[in-house]
Order: sequence, then structure tokens, then C-alpha cells
Amino acid sequence: MLRYLAQRLAQAAVILVFVTAISFVLIHLAPGDPFSAAIDNPNVNEAIRDRLRAQYGFDRPVPEQFVRYLGQLSRGELGWSFSHDRPVRDVLAHALPNTLLLMTIALVGSFALGILVALVQVSRRGTATDHVLGGVSLLFLSMPDFWLAILALLTFTYWLPIFPVGGAVDPVMHEYMGLWGRIMDRLKHLILPALTLTLLASAGIARYQRAALLDVLPADYIRTARLKGLTEKEILRRHALRNATLPIISLIGLSFPALLTGAVFIERVFAWPGMGYALVNAISSRDYPLVVGAVIIGSVMVMVGSLVADILYAWADPRLRGD
Amino acid sequence: MAPLRLFPLLLVLAACVDSESPPPKGEGGTLVISAGGDPDILIPPLTVTIQGTQITDLVYDRLSEIGDSLNIVGDGGFTPRLAEKWTWSSDSLSIAFQIDMRARWHDGQPVRSRDVRFTFESYKDTVLGSGASSLVTNIDSVTTPDSATAVFWFRARNPQQFYDAVYPMAIMPEHIWRAIPRSAWRAAEQAKAPIGSGRFRFLRWTPRGSVELVADTMNYLGAPKLTRVIWSIAPDFNAAVTRFFSGEADVFEAIRAENLPDIAKSPTLRIARTKGLDYMFAQFNLRDPANRARLHPLFGNRELRRALTMAVDRPAIVRSVFDSLALPALGPTVRTYPSTDPNLPQIPFNLERARQMLDSLGWRDENADGVREREGRPLQFSLAVPSSSRARVRSAVLIQEQLRQAGVKVDVDQLDFPVFIDRMRRRTFDAVINSWHTQPSPGGVRQSWGTAGSRASSGTNYGSYESPAFDAYVDSALASSNVAERRALFTRAYTIIIEDAPAIWLAEPIPTIGHHSRLRLAYLRPDAWWAHIPEWWIPADKRIPRDKVPLPGSSPADTAGRKAP
Repeated sequence: MLRYLAQRLAQAAVILVFVTAISFVLIHLAPGDPFSAAIDNPNVNEAIRDRLRAQYGFDRPVPEQFVRYLGQLSRGELGWSFSHDRPVRDVLAHALPNTLLLMTIALVGSFALGILVALVQVSRRGTATDHVLGGVSLLFLSMPDFWLAILALLTFTYWLPIFPVGGAVDPVMHEYMGLWGRIMDRLKHLILPALTLTLLASAGIARYQRAALLDVLPADYIRTARLKGLTEKEILRRHALRNATLPIISLIGLSFPALLTGAVFIERVFAWPGMGYALVNAISSRDYPLVVGAVIIGSVMVMVGSLVADILYAWADPRLRGD
Repeated sequence: MAPLRLFPLLLVLAACVDSESPPPKGEGGTLVISAGGDPDILIPPLTVTIQGTQITDLVYDRLSEIGDSLNIVGDGGFTPRLAEKWTWSSDSLSIAFQIDMRARWHDGQPVRSRDVRFTFESYKDTVLGSGASSLVTNIDSVTTPDSATAVFWFRARNPQQFYDAVYPMAIMPEHIWRAIPRSAWRAAEQAKAPIGSGRFRFLRWTPRGSVELVADTMNYLGAPKLTRVIWSIAPDFNAAVTRFFSGEADVFEAIRAENLPDIAKSPTLRIARTKGLDYMFAQFNLRDPANRARLHPLFGNRELRRALTMAVDRPAIVRSVFDSLALPALGPTVRTYPSTDPNLPQIPFNLERARQMLDSLGWRDENADGVREREGRPLQFSLAVPSSSRARVRSAVLIQEQLRQAGVKVDVDQLDFPVFIDRMRRRTFDAVINSWHTQPSPGGVRQSWGTAGSRASSGTNYGSYESPAFDAYVDSALASSNVAERRALFTRAYTIIIEDAPAIWLAEPIPTIGHHSRLRLAYLRPDAWWAHIPEWWIPADKRIPRDKVPLPGSSPADTAGRKAP
């Protein structure tokens, strides 16, 4: 297992270098730079812009800039964010916990909800309940994430004002609340974005899990369980579900990139101060260091996600442990 | 309605705060502004974003504040701020400002004349790279004969030299910044936690969350009427506007035409308008993008530009895109300037006449495909717009349709904003829809439409329009101290450029903010609607729990022996 982990980490390091190089080159090839986009002020003349470009090394050839950037990275520095006027490390350190919180809740919630829906569908397969839940899953699967987010925002903050409009906390009152008030405040702000992301992700999981369960139901060991007199509920829960979970575990690894992408839109609509929000603004303002920094962190998250999925897979399937 | 919906939530929140504490001096209340993004950097010479400008304007003071009429000739209308009075020298080449000795920085240190000199040197320093450095070029130096007097020495007399001295510069504390190299200011902690002398002091900034200012209750100009001002940040328009409609925010400044019916229906929401300093236009590139030494194959021809302008129904575009939130633009100016004649003659909309003009220029639709040709070349060009601007994209589509009726094919090119800016700077475009936010001085027209702005690599006359007559009239107007003469000269300059049609003058947006009816506003100044926020207030019977949050601990200045004025 340790050898396997070492191999995966080595692969991850190589992938990371490639991702860094590609994102670095692509964002530098895009027209404009941090000083043409962020300082769009007719009073800032080209001489000032050129001096700023020289000051930050943007007047150098892209390969030279890349080598310098790798040098910075080796010292653990991610550079300076021009759109936030603070170190990239600080921007991401503030954003990453928020995104991780949102993604973790959405990941756990979507798998719990997806599996539950699939269990209900399979236990009542062919009935109206199965068809309705299938239809609803398909509906959520087909919805663009930003559209559902805007719909949720308008529905639950304006027409039916149950939740706050956005942000991670109440910008006015949070600092003046007691501990319990602050916890409640955070929860209230978390529910809507987390629920939206959960609903979007759970739809695919439900359909996948339903198919996996239907695949294992004709198996011999299920027939044996039936002959032993177990109820259909017990068969599903104790025998079918565990075996049908294996393909779902692969989905965990695949869900990370999907959730991260979804979070970009969800965070923007709900003003959730996470990685996605930072990344979108960074791209539009040509904040090179922040874009590359966010891509690196995103890649690490995806790689960690797929590694966790592999480990879980090995844990769930004893046949793989020896490999 | 919105406050009623929020009532249960606010009750819960109110339980968490000390609502027994009385508000500070003045009327009290919390103003929440729904903002579209974080401020960039809270150093006045470097701030670019609108949020950054609003915050630094409230935290820092100028020597003197421009009047509501935006007069820039002489010192008429300017009111004392850090300078309690000023004296002109007999030759008008210097002005001595007397610092108000009651003024203190928010950390308790007194404001002195050396702060003024330090500020001027900072704005001028190319290492800092302030965008306002070009606005202070007529100031030769600032001397400080004593701690209470700062003398500005000018290179040349001009009617707006007082404006040049006080408007671009917010005075900064030397004792905070002198030890930090100017090249390191952007990275300094002080850039995120400014110390100024304004009537609000900085409290906190939660990145991508909010920025909070609180009343400086011991300020030399008196405490502001509001207790706190908070920018609540939501980058998505839907979230930002929903905050306003739901009552979570009191003010929203990016109101769109489609929001007006909802505001009109709401019993608690209002809009307030002021005069504007922006104008939007479709600019033709008069030089060939492939070779700037040559004229543009289409737009190098003045009569063709005039025909295209005549084929565009500008009032219809303004109504369609802006509803009542804009007026048709007059030219490279705004109605707010006292020097602008609101009845400037325009090239009228006349589709039939435009068609005749195009015919007479040899542009005819020989192959009946709906597009005119001349010598095998179709009458076709690209019109670039930033995809982030709904108003410009919609205007481009309407222009495309209107010119189609005249037999002109327009390809609307929606570009990412940095790409759009890059294309303008390189001048590699046929036509663009651009917009300028002007200063209270109309002098910026020299850079945007004058020959100097066309020929200098740093110039912003991207369309390369050049007219010696226009330049001469603008220069004469700016040199005149006589208001009537100034207006007459500007009128002649604007008439020339309107007739030459280097652009189709589209719209002059009317700045409109949405606000909650519980707010009592003061005058919204055209260049900065937030300028009088210290005079805004909320009546006691209209306050909600967030208005009753007490001020945090006293500022260091309060403990430094300051007395309320």
C-alpha cells in the first residue's frame, strides 16, 4: 500500500508540474496583463504601466517568467495577487477553507441523498414513485448550475425570505453576535449554497446508484438472501447496497472536479468567498499569479480526491488490497 | 415590505447585540451599501475601483472640497476641509493653505503642513505610479514655512489651478507612510487599514465580505450623522440587487432599467438621481489598423462617418437600453459642466438622407444582397464591445440593426474586457463602443479627442481623430476665466467635432441610486454621490436593529486629548 501511495504521489507531482506550466502559459498568452485590465484608468499612462510591468517582471519573456515562478514555488511562494493587492497565499488561505467546507458538505450530502433516492427508487421500482424520482433527478441533472443557483437565490431570499442573500456571514451584525449567534449566522449563510450544490451533484449519483443496484439484484447471493427469508428492505440494505457501492466510490474521485467547477458558479451567485469566486475575478483581471495559484490548489484538491477514492475502493473491495 | 420579511431574523440578531447602548452624537444609524466587488487598495493615489474611491473619500480629507456646482474656475464654491483658509499670492502663482489646527489623524496625531508636502511628493513620484500624477503637473512644488502653512507653487497661471491643487489629492499622514519605500506601499499593511482624518474612520475589511467604517465622533468637522457605513460585497449582480430588494442593504448604485418597475411598486424603496459625468459613444478608428500611416479605408472619409451617424436613431437606442436612466449624448462632454451648452446642434437621424449620402459616395448594393459595395468592397466593419457591459452589447446590436437598414453590415465583436482594452490601446479595431468617466474639469477632452492624445503612445484618443481647429478652441476655452466666454469657445469646439463625426455620440447615463425610504439623503454630488454621506441620517422611528449597534471602542485619537468641536 505504501509503495502504491508513493507511486501515486510521484504521478501527482508530474501532473502538477504540467498543470502549472499549461495554466501559466495559457493565461500569459491571453491578451492584456494585470496592469492593462486592473488599472483601466485614462490617467495612468503607458510609462507608468511599463514601469509597473518591469517592476513585477512582466516585461521579460514568458519562459524566463516561468522559470522565476518555479523558483518562487520551490520556496513556497505563490506570488502577489494584483487584483487583491495581497500575497496569493493569503488570498487562497482565506478562500480555501470556505470552498472545502462547501464541497465537503455537498459531497457528503449529495452521496447520502443520491444513495437514499436510489434505494427508494429500487425498492419501488416500476412504480409512480420510481418514475417521479427519476424524472426529478433528470431535471436537476439537466439544469445549468448557475441557473438553479439564481432560482434558489430569488426564491428563498426574495419571494420567500427564509435565508440571507449571500456571503459567508452577515456583514452587518456578525461581529456583534455572541458565539451561538455567530454559529447560527454561519449556518444560515451556508444552507442555500450547500443545498444547491448538493441537489445538483446528488441527481447524477442517484441515477448511477440506481443502475448499480439494479445490476446486482439478479445476482445469486441476492437470490440466496431472498430464499433465506430476508425482507426486500434488508436485502437492499445489507447485501445489494454494499456491492453496488463499489462503482459509486469511483464517483467520489470524479465528483471532486465536478464539485470544484460547480462551486465556481455557486460561489459567485451566492457571494460565497471561496476559491471559485477568487478564480473568476482573477481571470477577468488577468491576475496571473492568483490564476496559477488557484489552478495549482484546485489540481491538488482533485488529486487528493481521486487518491481518497482509490483508498476507499481498496478498503471496500478486499480483492484489491493485495494489489 | 422588505423590513417586515426580515423582522423575525432581525429579532434574533437583535438579541445578540447590546441594543441598550445609545447611539453616538448625531442622529445615528447604519448605512449598508450593496457593492459589486472589493475595493482594490485603500491608498488615495493608487485607488482605482469605485468602492476604493468611496471608502478613501470618506476616510481621508482634501485641503478643500469642491462645491456642489462643480465650479472649477478660481476657488468659487470650494469649502474648507483640512485647510481652514487660503491666500492667493499677488501674481497668482502660489496659494498658501492654512491648516485647521484642530484636525487630527485617526490615530491621534495632529495634521500638519508637512503631511501636505509629503502627499504632493507621493502623488508626483513615478515609483508610486499614481494615476493622478498627470493631474498635478502644473504644481511645481509645495513648501512648508511653518507647521500650519502649506504653500503650493504653480508653473503657470490657469483658471483651474486651485482645483488642480486640491481636487486630485487626499492628504495622507506622513508619520504612517514615510518609513515605507513607495515601491512597497501596495504591499503595506497600512494599505488595508487606512488612517485618515475624515469624518469616518476605518474599522475592518473582510475580503470578499464587507468593509466597515465607523463615525469619528471627535472629528474636527463634527461627528457624522450616521454611526456606521458598511459595503456589503456581492460580485454577482443578481445577489447584489437582491440584497437591496430584500432589505439587507440600504443603497444599491448599479440600478438597471429593468429594476425600475419593481422599485416603483415597492412602498419602501426609492430612487435618487443626480447629474452625471459619463458619456458613451461608438468610436470610429480613423486610421487603418493594419498601417496607421494610412487613413482607414472606410472611416477616413468624413462624409461616410456622417452618413453612418445619420442612419442611427440615438434617442431610440437610449430609450431601449437605458429607459429613463440616460439621455442622448451631446458630444464628447456632459450636461453637468457649466461650460456645456445643452442645445449643441447634432447630426439628425434621417435614414433616407443617409441612404442618399451613401449612394452619392459610390456605396451601392449592386448585387442586391442587402449590403452596399464600392469597387468590390462591401460596406462592412466590426464593432467591438466588452461582453461584460450589457448596455454596450445591447447598443451594438441595435446599431447593427439600424445600419443594416441603410445597407451597412456590422459584425458585433463581443470581447473579454482585457482583450477589449488591449485592442483599443493597440488601435487594432474598426469601431468600438466605449465610455468615458470624466473629471469635474472638461480638460480631459484634450487627451481623449485632441491631437496630443492621438499621437502620444500613452494617449487615449484611440480613434486618432485630429483637428487643429478643435484643439485650438479647447485650449482657448480652458485658458479662459470668463464663464460665458469659456462656454462659447467650448461650444465652437464641440460643434466642430460633432460635425466631423469621429464617433456616434450615444448616451449620457444619469447616475441613479436605489435607496431605502428610511434614509434621509443629502445632495448627491455628480462626481461622487457619496460625498455628503456624513450628512445622511435615519430618523429614530425608522431605525431597525442594525442601526442600534453601538460604536466599537474609542479610536486612539479619542484618548489623545481631542475634544469634540
